[in-house]
Amino acid sequence: MIPVSVITGFLGSGKTTLLARLMLDPAMGRTAVIINEFGAIALDHDLIETSDESFVRLSNGCLCCNVRSDLTLTLGDLAARRAQGTVPRFERVVIETSGLADPAPILHALMTDSDLNGVYVLDGVITTVDVLIGLTTLEQHEESRRQVVVADRIVITKTDLDGVRTDAIKQRLMTVNPGAQVIEAVRGAIAPSALFDCGFYDVSGKHPDVSAWLAHDSIAATDGHEHHHTEDITSFCIVREEPLRAVTLALLLSALAENCGEDLLRMKGIVHVLEQPERPAVIHGVQHVYHAPVWLPRWPSADRRSRMVFIGRNIRESWVRGLIDLLDAEVAAENTKRTLVTEPLPIAGKG
Amino acid sequence: MNESLPAIRDEDERLRAFLTDSLALWQVAGTVQAGRAPVVAEIRAASGALVWVERAAGDTPFKWHARWRGSGDAPGGVRELRPRACGSLVGLLGAVRDALGVERGSAVRIVPAPEQA
Repeated sequence: MIPVSVITGFLGSGKTTLLARLMLDPAMGRTAVIINEFGAIALDHDLIETSDESFVRLSNGCLCCNVRSDLTLTLGDLAARRAQGTVPRFERVVIETSGLADPAPILHALMTDSDLNGVYVLDGVITTVDVLIGLTTLEQHEESRRQVVVADRIVITKTDLDGVRTDAIKQRLMTVNPGAQVIEAVRGAIAPSALFDCGFYDVSGKHPDVSAWLAHDSIAATDGHEHHHTEDITSFCIVREEPLRAVTLALLLSALAENCGEDLLRMKGIVHVLEQPERPAVIHGVQHVYHAPVWLPRWPSADRRSRMVFIGRNIRESWVRGLIDLLDAEVAAENTKRTLVTEPLPIAGKG
Repeated sequence: MNESLPAIRDEDERLRAFLTDSLALWQVAGTVQAGRAPVVAEIRAASGALVWVERAAGDTPFKWHARWRGSGDAPGGVRELRPRACGSLVGLLGAVRDALGVERGSAVRIVPAPEQA
């Protein structure tokens, strides 16, 4: 399958500069680029040098508002042309959204559209944040917060300007989204390897870096219990020593979707399931859309604890912990009841 | 049997704490407190709605029973007298949301994960 990365970020935050620099790297040679601009005149296209036809510009509105009609058709068309050999055989797609786009509908399309499933797979979301005005933008614009909370990688831009300090913006970004890796860029210069292949799907055949995907360092730094809160967005990590029963995991995903709805902006995790102790389950959801758990062939490290990252609006950590504990206790009690019913009664005088 | 009573009381407390957090999650103003047995939790919403949660008997396939009186309903309505049986905590939460008129948008969509390469 072809990995798809989404580059998003508020207006003027440096998305195009980042993409332009990335496209100069030989490692990006077989990459198809889709650029969406909010406005009648598409300028970004002219700012990026590409050498082939695997370049599509969408300028008839905001990508997130036309995601079905535009993005799905465009990706489908690109795949067909790739198969026919009328465009180079690209091995990756990068989508640059408009500065006002909500990335969630784009992620939903990539995760759920039947025309795209089996051809494309979401690799990750890269969000650019301007070090100069990023704090203000985060405070004033919901679109900016949404772009940050769904990110797997956050790139702080314009750090090359004199006297710029990144401490405050880094701290704020870690608070809003502790599950993302924060990277500084100088004039957009970042190695593609730092931004791509950040998903847990084993697209290239290599072992997926689940710890990087979960930004496990940030979880470890908070010991899994730190609770961040900024305005109405909460983010927290749950680390659980005891394995979860498979039924508990299924009920948990249902309960999260049914009760949190669109308020659960992003959740991802690796789960130790009691019935499959050697194969961890990777879970991933955006709002009310969840992938069925992916079973990894083995644990990526000696750490076999379940680790789950939640980012949402108005969601208490105690609610999620209570939900998991109560569900697991309920399932355990049901298993005990069934065992008692199915076990033969002892025969008097024997044993 | 008596040895398990403290454990059940603890579980009842956990359930009430969880339901209190659920009200906050759904942005419903209200309180959750212990009710008169067999009611484990009594939810009083600021809107006037009342919900009573009870444990189902152990010999049934259900875990919980929920009864309620909606905001503006007269006492003794059908939902107050005829409980909704719930097979799990997930079902109980659905019943409480219905009772309180909480709308959480579209239901869960779990999509197939991509095949591993």
